[in-house]
Amino acid sequence: MRHGGAWRRCIVAGLACTAVGVAAVAGEAAAAGAAPLPGELARGQALFDTHCGICHATGGTGTFMLGRRLGPDNALLARRADLSAALIGQVVRHGINSMPVFTRAELSDAQLALVAAWLTRPAEFRRDAN
Amino acid sequence: MAAFARVVGSEWVLDTDLDRDTYRDVYQPANETTHVPAAAVAPRSTEEVQALLRLANEHHIPLWPISRGKNLGYGGSAPVMSGSVILDLSRMKRILDVDVKRGYCLLEPGVGFFDLYEYLRSNAIPLWMSVPANAWGSVIGNALERGIGYTPYGENTAQLCGLEVALPNGELVRTGMGAMAGGRAWQLFKYGFGPSWDQLFVQSNFGVVTKAGMWLMPEPEATLGLGFALPESADIVWALDILAELRLRKVIDTSVTMGNYMRTATMRGQRAEWYQGPGPIPPEIERQIMEKYGLGRWNFTINLFGYDAVNQANARIIRDAFAPHYQRAIRETHWRRGEPLAQSAANIPTVVFLQVVNWWGGRGGHMGFSPILPTDGREAFTQFESTRRRYEEFGLDHFGGFTMGERYLTNVNQIIYDRDDADMTRRAHALFDTLVGDAARAGYGEYRTHLSYMDKVARTFDFNDHALLRLNETVKNALDPNGILAPGKSGIWPRAYKAERT
Repeated sequence: MRHGGAWRRCIVAGLACTAVGVAAVAGEAAAAGAAPLPGELARGQALFDTHCGICHATGGTGTFMLGRRLGPDNALLARRADLSAALIGQVVRHGINSMPVFTRAELSDAQLALVAAWLTRPAEFRRDAN
Repeated sequence: MAAFARVVGSEWVLDTDLDRDTYRDVYQPANETTHVPAAAVAPRSTEEVQALLRLANEHHIPLWPISRGKNLGYGGSAPVMSGSVILDLSRMKRILDVDVKRGYCLLEPGVGFFDLYEYLRSNAIPLWMSVPANAWGSVIGNALERGIGYTPYGENTAQLCGLEVALPNGELVRTGMGAMAGGRAWQLFKYGFGPSWDQLFVQSNFGVVTKAGMWLMPEPEATLGLGFALPESADIVWALDILAELRLRKVIDTSVTMGNYMRTATMRGQRAEWYQGPGPIPPEIERQIMEKYGLGRWNFTINLFGYDAVNQANARIIRDAFAPHYQRAIRETHWRRGEPLAQSAANIPTVVFLQVVNWWGGRGGHMGFSPILPTDGREAFTQFESTRRRYEEFGLDHFGGFTMGERYLTNVNQIIYDRDDADMTRRAHALFDTLVGDAARAGYGEYRTHLSYMDKVARTFDFNDHALLRLNETVKNALDPNGILAPGKSGIWPRAYKAERT
């Protein structure tokens, strides 16, 4: 049995994510410039799981540290309702405490915008985030 | 930069002030002026890498290649020489081939441990990876830096089999059997015909690895773990000798890692919960920490992988070997194929280790100091005690341990500091500097080091007035006459930048 080709599916900390083409995501987000739609939220969630979930899913070091600093109710980023896109951008590009920065090659500005849209999504899309 | 942009597209030339900051060593104090890149360029393909190398020669621009830039504790994505342009390969992340029957994969350098793990799992491929403590980085990058994991395939650099390399002049070569245009055994036979080049591209600046084969371990029938907690610090004298014998005879075929109490304490909490006084943590507090977490002075697990009957037989040999010295209960863990993988000794990628930098509070940092020792318990204990005293002298908590290789011991020491505390950061670096000298005088050299110490460590390899360094630099100048590729990597300086040697 042989397997080849690029892989575009992720599962982080047990969460299955939507299959996405990263370049396509960046292009669509740049073109849209409008309020996020559920499709974009799904892409933001997938990017969050891939890039942020290794620390900020349940049991991750980011979740552990946020729980210590801000209490258990604020430990999981995906459940927080008090984040702003500006704060998320600041933390991702400049780091905070022990969290390292992300380069634009690793997470482009358009992808960062999608992640921020997911983390700041309206209340009706705030089910089952962990 | 305009010429680079014509190759990769302007979006992938990253040259703002913010970009430069994001490629610096994340554990470096903000006011440091060393290892500052000029910009970054992120190609998508081998052809783009070749084109960038040709342009770098034309314009005399030094490039510093990174796979994913997560070489944390060793400089991250930063270059040795300020003003270098980062050649960021993280967009090259294709998993080109996985061969289940023969147990290998062919990867691009941007493929991370999480990427490969999820590919194998989601495709139900029964091959296991060897994963380092910090699994955020690149599979290939880790092997090229001689990182280790914790399976029988744990020496990651030894699993490399067949590279594709863009030389500094842009020419593309394939090593081993891949040097045949129609070669059918590129990922199967490491040596090829004539000189074998794979290891010359490890920790070197002789080329940019654009593809690499890695051997993967077939999923075993079972794993069996034996957990030990040694009560006294000096217990490693006999324990390491036993482990060395068992490792040499391949009763144990993984790198057994043992650490002191700090390994657990730094993962589970912060220093201030235990002690807020001056100087290193006092012995009484050490005892309290060990009591809380049920730790011994040394704690380790021997993991066996393979057929259950063989594992059981080897476990008996190990128990018998330890019995004269160790009467405590041995913690056993068992897994058989089909049971949840989390219960096995499989290496599942995690970044929980990064938690250690939170030890002091503030924005933490860590550096790894890891000299190679012979497998001798008495010698290892002497080295451990000498290193502990140095940590105390510099007012830092000693996070020390050993990893048992097949015929060598890696003495792993983490220097953890708060990089917002200028005095502590200074002490951390002074300690590192001192330890390199101490180890060299004892005959121990580092196998891998932080950017700031590459020249210093290279100088400790001093047989025949540094003949090896002269050889490395002869090769470097022949392959890279303009010195455009990673000047200063591993202390190897091309003629064009030799004045930069520290």
